[in-house]
Amino acid sequence: MKTFDYFKPSTLVEALDLYEKYGSLAQFLMGGTDLVVNIDNSLVAPDYLIDLKGVPEFSRLQLAGSYLEIGASVTFSELVESSAVRDHFPVLWEASRTVASNGVRNRATLVGNICSAVPSADSAPALLVLQALVVVQNRAGARELPIADFFLGPRRTVLVPGDIVTGIRLPLPPASFGSSYIKMGRYDGEDLAQVCVATFVNDEGAVRIAFGAVAPKPVRAYEAEEFLNGKVLAEGVLEQAVPLAMKSISPISDVRASKEYRLHISGVLLKRSLRASSSRLQGKGPEYGMSLV
Amino acid sequence: MKKEITLRLNGYETTVAVEPHEKLLDVLRDKLGVKSPKYGCGRGECGACSVLLNGKSVRTCIMYAVEADGQEIVTVEGLEQDGLTPLQKSFLSHNSFQCGFCAPGIIISATELLISNPHPGEEEIREAIAGNLCRCTGYGSVVDAIVDLTRRE
Amino acid sequence: MKELDLKVVGHDAVRLDGLEKITATAKYADDIDLGPGMLYAAILGSPYAHATIKGIDTSDAEQVPGVHAVLSGEDCPGRCGLYLKDSQLFAKDRVRYVGQQVAAVVASSQEIADKALGLIKIEYEPLPVLQDPIEALKPDAVLIHPDLGDYEVVPWLYPQPGTNIAHLRKVRKGNVEKAFEEADYILEDWYHVPHVVHAPIETHVSAALYAFDGRLTMWNSTQSPHTQRNILANVLNLKHKDVRIVTPYVGGGFGGKAGVNMEVIAAACAMKVPGHPVKIRYSRKDEFQNTSQRQELKAYVKMGVKNDGTIVALKHQLFWDVGASAEYGSNVVNATGFSATGAYRIPNVWIDSYAIYTNRPPCGAYRGFGYSEFHFGIESHIDRVAKALNMDPVEFRKKNAIQEGDTVAYGVEMGPTGILKCIDEVAKAIEWGTESKSDDPNRVRGKGFALVWKAPAMPANESSAAFIKFNEDASINVLVSGMELGQGFMTAMGKIAAEELGLPLERVRVELPDTDRNPYEWQTVASHVTWSCGNAVRRAAIDARNQIIKVVSTAHHIEEASLYLEDGKVKCSTKPDFALPLEKFVINGVQMSDGTFRGGPILGRGSFMPEFTSAKVDPETGMGGHPNVHYTTGAGAVEIEIDKETGRVRVLRMAEAFDAGKAINPDLVKGQIEGGFVQGLGTALWEEVIFDEQGRIRNPNFTDYKIPTSLDAPREMHSIIVEVPQPDGPYGARGVGEHTMIPVMPAIANAIENALGIRIKNPPMTAEKIVQALKEKAERSL
Repeated sequence: MKTFDYFKPSTLVEALDLYEKYGSLAQFLMGGTDLVVNIDNSLVAPDYLIDLKGVPEFSRLQLAGSYLEIGASVTFSELVESSAVRDHFPVLWEASRTVASNGVRNRATLVGNICSAVPSADSAPALLVLQALVVVQNRAGARELPIADFFLGPRRTVLVPGDIVTGIRLPLPPASFGSSYIKMGRYDGEDLAQVCVATFVNDEGAVRIAFGAVAPKPVRAYEAEEFLNGKVLAEGVLEQAVPLAMKSISPISDVRASKEYRLHISGVLLKRSLRASSSRLQGKGPEYGMSLV
Repeated sequence: MKKEITLRLNGYETTVAVEPHEKLLDVLRDKLGVKSPKYGCGRGECGACSVLLNGKSVRTCIMYAVEADGQEIVTVEGLEQDGLTPLQKSFLSHNSFQCGFCAPGIIISATELLISNPHPGEEEIREAIAGNLCRCTGYGSVVDAIVDLTRRE
Repeated sequence: MKELDLKVVGHDAVRLDGLEKITATAKYADDIDLGPGMLYAAILGSPYAHATIKGIDTSDAEQVPGVHAVLSGEDCPGRCGLYLKDSQLFAKDRVRYVGQQVAAVVASSQEIADKALGLIKIEYEPLPVLQDPIEALKPDAVLIHPDLGDYEVVPWLYPQPGTNIAHLRKVRKGNVEKAFEEADYILEDWYHVPHVVHAPIETHVSAALYAFDGRLTMWNSTQSPHTQRNILANVLNLKHKDVRIVTPYVGGGFGGKAGVNMEVIAAACAMKVPGHPVKIRYSRKDEFQNTSQRQELKAYVKMGVKNDGTIVALKHQLFWDVGASAEYGSNVVNATGFSATGAYRIPNVWIDSYAIYTNRPPCGAYRGFGYSEFHFGIESHIDRVAKALNMDPVEFRKKNAIQEGDTVAYGVEMGPTGILKCIDEVAKAIEWGTESKSDDPNRVRGKGFALVWKAPAMPANESSAAFIKFNEDASINVLVSGMELGQGFMTAMGKIAAEELGLPLERVRVELPDTDRNPYEWQTVASHVTWSCGNAVRRAAIDARNQIIKVVSTAHHIEEASLYLEDGKVKCSTKPDFALPLEKFVINGVQMSDGTFRGGPILGRGSFMPEFTSAKVDPETGMGGHPNVHYTTGAGAVEIEIDKETGRVRVLRMAEAFDAGKAINPDLVKGQIEGGFVQGLGTALWEEVIFDEQGRIRNPNFTDYKIPTSLDAPREMHSIIVEVPQPDGPYGARGVGEHTMIPVMPAIANAIENALGIRIKNPPMTAEKIVQALKEKAERSL
């Protein structure tokens, strides 16, 4: 049983100072739905826990200019309940609804999800196609980086000790777009994704595709995107895009699914997601939130 | 190092000394005599440990008690202080539960749902309790009781 | 049996434990506070699936401040086990599965116990690991229990020393070889059902206190308080009267809390620290790794039929992986050996049911007791044979269904059964014969059917007993040691007592077991307690009623035959104005005109043991005895929808009908049908314990062992009760608790075949397997 000291700073500076003091012996705690389990399983063993839930600006969830600002303590439940998210970023809204359970969504945060950097993170494909910006602060100052540059591999990000992700900024999409997030689990109940995909299309013919759970990190499928850009997304075209998309992913076999099944499902979900995005771009269904598996 | 925390527990200010690593579930059960949240999995996956924290359901098995300092907790014991809630009455008359171990967690999840949505449809009800695992009932009798309640009101 | 005008039995009512459970007042074992003297235990499990123990060094652990005791195999010699004593409290010379308990530390905090545990040094020498029952039968396979010949065993099990066979049940009826020669069509194939776990939401919990007066008290989450007391008294050398097992409510049992499991460890720990309670609450991971599982089955089925659809021969060889200990699982193998024909009339039968040791966790009782596993093969096979003959699978089943008076495989006559009505009701509810289509071009639908039977698997002398005591206000306490697991046992017993005593149900309490006070019950397993304990309660109620009638007859000079009980009063059929409320005399007696009293406290006593069962059978043929009391029959069907691209199966509608004889609690029987279906659904589509090459479980949590949620259960469920009375059951009742799970795996396999033309012979029938099978089917047709 791991024991540790606990702090709850009330400002970002205090939090950074605490980390400076304890360094790698410390872990930041937000929703805890990942971290607490990892501590129980001895995957991490901090001597100091720095609870970030007391920093007021982290709870920010609002439109500011041409961005939606999502602070580090915003939970998935808050995203699901937000009309700004539902209206402007329905792909993130859809992804948020698939996370675990009510009780977990009430605690787990969007920022915590990307910081866990598990390849199957539900929010990642959505954030990738939305071209989100990750805001990082440390004692030296603040920086922003595109989400596509954030993940390095399973449970690895570009963050270095002393960094705190303070929020995520989502650029407002154009007025006319279509998007879709589909998650394949073993059943309709709560599950980690065997495969998840997010797609985004706008009326200029831009297509963005991102996969989760089928590569060491969540990835964009640039080759497939390039092929599809500007094209009418008819069945034949979608069919041709599948093998191109497969080039961006490298699924493994694990206790949840075999590599072969993941490859197969990636193709199936890609087509279903692009059909839905394309249809939604034209103002038609399926309604956001409807299950497509 | 022990910390003293104060919870507004079922309507009463309650102070208790805890070690930072102690889970809220264990503090409620072993130090504060609140037995309704149960240990089912220790990973936040079964929902048996659920309580309402500031009105929202949370899994107390993956929360440290210190995180709840200064916050409001409501458990089934709190919900029924003035008599059975309409939800409990419906579960009772429908014989919804069998072994009863998942019941407190489901009552918490259903209460949370009905606070924000007093007239949910069947699928919304199933979504709301999807994170509460039950091995006995097959969920039909639980859902029926909630559907019946929302139709009657 | 004449139609009875029943006032309580057979009528729905709010269950007796309902209020406790929805108010969260109901106490489960972990809810009991044991005071500040409680100590904590940590248990060390073997990292190896098979290894000899070269040395155990606990000296460093013993030195840690706050450690009260360290236990290992040295402290707890001797073997234990329910039917076959092949188990030990702690492994002494050899470990046989990953997680097998090797040592334990008892300390003043969990932290100290865990820390000290880490200081225990055990030297292992790995041995070859066996995980496949067929491999374990090979002549050169390592022997997992080389001393099998020395183990104490009940006379009706036949271990084979020098092999990995813990038991072999043979049944031989007629002449299968000749019958196969004369058959018009023969189908043979293998079916493979993997290990699954019970996954009750409440994990195993056991608390024990060995007091200085020499009494051991335990608070256990268990289905079997008296069986536990018996085993513990024997293993720990205590008198039965000095072992007290108190059982609070159980948060789900399903067979996993039958017999004895980790409770022996809690007891052994407690005995090392007299005066201190010790509590062990299993983590979910412990629950997966270290409690009994459902055995794996590899079954060979060969069936011969005539062109008109008559089954003439069945050869069924069942190779069961019972894991590292067969102390309980041997009876699963035994029971299924007798019944592995399925619910059919078959003149020529050859059954071999093998209990085979492997280096996997011990397998014990799991809802269905082996019947779900073998029905998967038989009911899949039946469908395939029917299809080959161009016969409708339901008609095929009706034609061959066993009937009252038919002889089962081991020579006993089948009792009364509503099996044909069950088939018809299910076929009607599922609209058998009507195809349904999905609007979605990606999805196809199909329907599947299965027929089921099961008998309780019990020792011939299983028994139940009950006391009924009246209180001053003519309320009663019914004391029984059957367990309320959620199935509605308490309410059934309450209704029986209320019915016989003419009392409203509100006046009845049924007490949870306490072996000091509540009389004997064998175990709450086998779907037998409504029948067995129900009979005992009924006898106790009749006994109390007879006392009541006798004292009123004596005191009021009225003929006993004209007195009866109704609405809490004694009434007289010849004197309509006579109505004596029970509360006037059930404690205080009836006052005579001379001022003296007659009677005194009314106390009912009832005991039930079947006197026609015998496990004495010919080991070569299974004939000559009467091993099973009776069968409950039923049927189940599903309508499913499959997404052809993803392989995902959803059950749109289910129907099940069971012949309960007489449903004491109709709505709770419905609850058993719905709950059993969904538990069965889990094993059909998603559940499987996955082992690696070293015998370690890869998915010991709900992240990767998926049990059904509210989103996975069918939205339309038809639960049908058929009632053809069981002559020796209370009001005609027989059990249904396990049965409702049995049809699900094969009904779904048959529905998948109906929808997609693919036959999956190995559950769980995951989306991935379906996609793979569709791919192979497409390749075959090229």
